[in-house]
Amino acid sequence: MTQIDIIGLTKRYGTTLALDGVTLQAREGELVSLLGPSGCGKTTTLRCIAGFMDPDGGDILADGASVTDLPPQRRDFGVVFQNYALFPHLTVFENVAYGLGVRRVPKAEQRTRVAEALAMVRLQGLEDRLPRALSGGQQQRVALARALVIRPRLLLLDEPLANLDARLREEVRWLIRDVQQRARITAFYVTHDQAEAMALSDRIAVMKAGRVAQFATPREIYQRPAEAYVARFTGEANIIPVRPRDRTAGGGFHVPFGGVVLPVSGVEGIRPGDAAMLMLRPEALSITDPGAPDAIPALVLGAAFLGAALACEVSLADGMRLRLQASPHGTVQPGMTVGLAVDTAHAWLMPDIPQ
Amino acid sequence: MSRALSAAVLGVIYAFLLLPLVAVVAASLTAGELMRVPPEGLSLKWFQRFLASETFREALLLSLQVALTTVVVTVVLATLAALCHRALSRRLAASFRLAMTLPLLLPELLTAIGLLFFLNSIGLGKTLTGLQVAHVVIAFPFAFLAIVAALEQVDPAMEEASASLGAGGFETFRRVLLPLARPGMLTGGLFAFIVSFDMFTISLLLKPVGGNTLPLALFDFLTYDFDPTAAAAATLSVLFAVIGVVAIERMVGLRRAF
Repeated sequence: MTQIDIIGLTKRYGTTLALDGVTLQAREGELVSLLGPSGCGKTTTLRCIAGFMDPDGGDILADGASVTDLPPQRRDFGVVFQNYALFPHLTVFENVAYGLGVRRVPKAEQRTRVAEALAMVRLQGLEDRLPRALSGGQQQRVALARALVIRPRLLLLDEPLANLDARLREEVRWLIRDVQQRARITAFYVTHDQAEAMALSDRIAVMKAGRVAQFATPREIYQRPAEAYVARFTGEANIIPVRPRDRTAGGGFHVPFGGVVLPVSGVEGIRPGDAAMLMLRPEALSITDPGAPDAIPALVLGAAFLGAALACEVSLADGMRLRLQASPHGTVQPGMTVGLAVDTAHAWLMPDIPQ
Repeated sequence: MSRALSAAVLGVIYAFLLLPLVAVVAASLTAGELMRVPPEGLSLKWFQRFLASETFREALLLSLQVALTTVVVTVVLATLAALCHRALSRRLAASFRLAMTLPLLLPELLTAIGLLFFLNSIGLGKTLTGLQVAHVVIAFPFAFLAIVAALEQVDPAMEEASASLGAGGFETFRRVLLPLARPGMLTGGLFAFIVSFDMFTISLLLKPVGGNTLPLALFDFLTYDFDPTAAAAATLSVLFAVIGVVAIERMVGLRRAF
């Protein structure tokens, strides 16, 4: 078990800064996701950690010792690639045993360790197959077993589910989490899928243009995002430009919105009177009687039955459009005028940072 | 209709490619005294005559020796060059590739004259070593391109996967790149053999004193004679090429080799 510290990593391609001072940490046995759209620097960060790419500045520490100048083969970091990168000329057994063969592990021990690794990823009986005779899910299991069998100090996963179909993705996702927890191995996981990151991670680093926009637990990222970019990237969110009026007694803000004043908490450092962004997740809004106290009048524009919920789009008197999830048992229909209730415990105020 | 047409076009193309071959093979099997198609009766006597001729026997052996040496030297050099090509950035790789294939782009006669001056000035003019060097120079681009093509099929993540599992550069070469480049090396070797075995212009200018390769011996022979021994010699050359192709097909399958 290893703690990994990444300190102020920078990487420049020509004139563009791919990484602009990325600082991250993965504690022992922790799974940290790097989440962001393509081009945000998440893969570049992973490739620097793996040693496939030299950063222009910054340092990477494993248990306090710098590995930045070590070539990949001396870092002892297992890597699982997006396209699996299995050796096409080697069988499943030979692929998994590769790292052991390189380390001159005796043949008998190789056999037991390969069997253990394959049992761990629940792939047995295919040892003599070539990779091209396996399905995508099976290939990804082999790739995972191959990375784990060397008992690496750190596991690096680069969008490992991207090439799998939706059903398999779920299955392999749980498998990865299960294996990572049982082996108690520190891991970095690159993805652009927020649901994947939420489900798997101990902590998530949301990346934006070569920087870490926020680094926190999935719960914190979802409920208390540092800026609108993070809120948008981690799930559906209504983001409304507002001006907080003053502070509440509890340290929050009084925010005028839709004709009422909401007491909401928010990011430290916002000053009353400044432009800010109010986040209302769809589950923070509910539909009530238009006559109820503090209800905001709204017109239903559309409603879609999703089974567990009714997804609605409504507009306020000033034309602002909001999305929310109503009870599927209700009778909400497009064209209806309804009241909107805000659960201020699920509202959050963020500074107005350019996207 | 269009099927019939395309079959006809295909037939014409095959005929264009194969008829000369058929004619030569047929002529070599004649029982008569003149090279002509159709042959007058069948016999293997011209093959016997060919093998009985010391000139031709020596030329055949020299050609085989030079061709096999060319194969070994060329494949080793071309593999090293192809690995270098793979490691270079895209822009540098394009220039490198151009430089490596120059012998293919220049007229053979020009290369031959250049080599003649060069080999003479370093004291290898009119020697077997000089001829050997020249054959490698000409055969090299074919092997290089075949191996580069094979390596291009290899996912660049292979080296990274191998390194992350603890393998250094040589270990990765031995365990991953070499096995994956093998089809290209076999194809490249076959090309090198055929190019060397058939080489005329270069050999004519650079041949060692008193040594003749098979194409040169054939040329000398045809200057004064016109009996079917020449056809027998040509048939044997074709046979060697066919054996090579069949061997590659057996070992890797041509589809994978190209």
